[in-house]
Amino acid sequence: MLALTSRSWSPYVAGTLIGLLQIPAFLLIETALGASSSYVTVGGWLASLIDPGIFKIDYVARHVAATGKNWWQVALVAGIAIGAFVSMRLSDSRRRPISPIWACALGSPSPGRRYAVAFVAGFLMLFGARLADGCTSGHGLSGTAQLAVGSMVAVAAMFAGGIVTAMLALRRI
Amino acid sequence: MSLVNAIVIGLAMGFVFGFALEKSRVFEPGIIVGQMQLRNFLMLKVFLTAVAAGAVVLAILNGFGFVKLAPKATLYAADLAGGVILGSGIALAGACPGTVLAQIGAGYRDAIVTLIGGLAGAVAYSYAEPALSKSVFGVSSGKLLLNELVGIPYWQGALALAACCVVILVLLERAFPTSREYGSDVDGNLERAERDHQTARVAAAR
Repeated sequence: MLALTSRSWSPYVAGTLIGLLQIPAFLLIETALGASSSYVTVGGWLASLIDPGIFKIDYVARHVAATGKNWWQVALVAGIAIGAFVSMRLSDSRRRPISPIWACALGSPSPGRRYAVAFVAGFLMLFGARLADGCTSGHGLSGTAQLAVGSMVAVAAMFAGGIVTAMLALRRI
Repeated sequence: MSLVNAIVIGLAMGFVFGFALEKSRVFEPGIIVGQMQLRNFLMLKVFLTAVAAGAVVLAILNGFGFVKLAPKATLYAADLAGGVILGSGIALAGACPGTVLAQIGAGYRDAIVTLIGGLAGAVAYSYAEPALSKSVFGVSSGKLLLNELVGIPYWQGALALAACCVVILVLLERAFPTSREYGSDVDGNLERAERDHQTARVAAAR
């Protein structure tokens, strides 16, 4: 059932494994699991190649600084891609370039349309996550588990925004 | 902690995270869009399980004094508006900021564009941050914790939260059996017969 070569594990096993990652996060890095600040670290560093003045914004300087916490999270999200790649190879379930659900959800099989929507989606996701100061990981997994009121508000808003958008802007998959 | 150690630990933890995300199938656009259209509940199952496990772990670690908690401050306007914008992005991306990387690892090419859009969004926010933090979005109500509002120690509140999650999970599994949520290519793309069955269940649940 939990073979490394199976295509799917029970959501309860996988979810528990993800929750247990809070142990090394708190004990070794003294922080909670999170993902979206790493986009400021990498994005801010990339932007500084074009606009070195961006470091005058304290928010960017803080996130790009060579601290363990900043670059731990960049390594964490890079590790997610590696872990998913290895898991996919072990179960021989490489995904097609675009999920078949998009032709249905967007009402068109055009890859161009999907790429355009994906860019806008990514932009909204990170602009929103940074405004809220956290994403599905930082607010959702970590903030909720720590009983933070703001995180619970953010998670409720996230699902509300997601449900309304999926109902109004996407077709039924 | 040296920078190199932090990066090595991050890579190792991310590897486990990404492996679990891929095996759970929660990174699939079909699963995430299905969740937001309220006909696939796999995302909520993984999410609530991870919250419950995290809460139990932190109840123990914090209860015995091994770690300090690191909750974020409550900024109602920013949490609400940011959450709604983030949620709409999640629905259109079929991913969240962490699972985008799992999608790239598993072979989805549009996820690379989502990632680039995400970096652009983070940079755009960075330029707006000095102005936004002086507006209503910078108004903080401090670090409000549910257990402190109720007046109980953190570990009790965390265990209560975990218990609530477990009850919801049992009910969810009863209403939406996991075996019906994958589809034949484990991507949440359900065939017509399965889909009709699912729709009937949603109607019955209402």
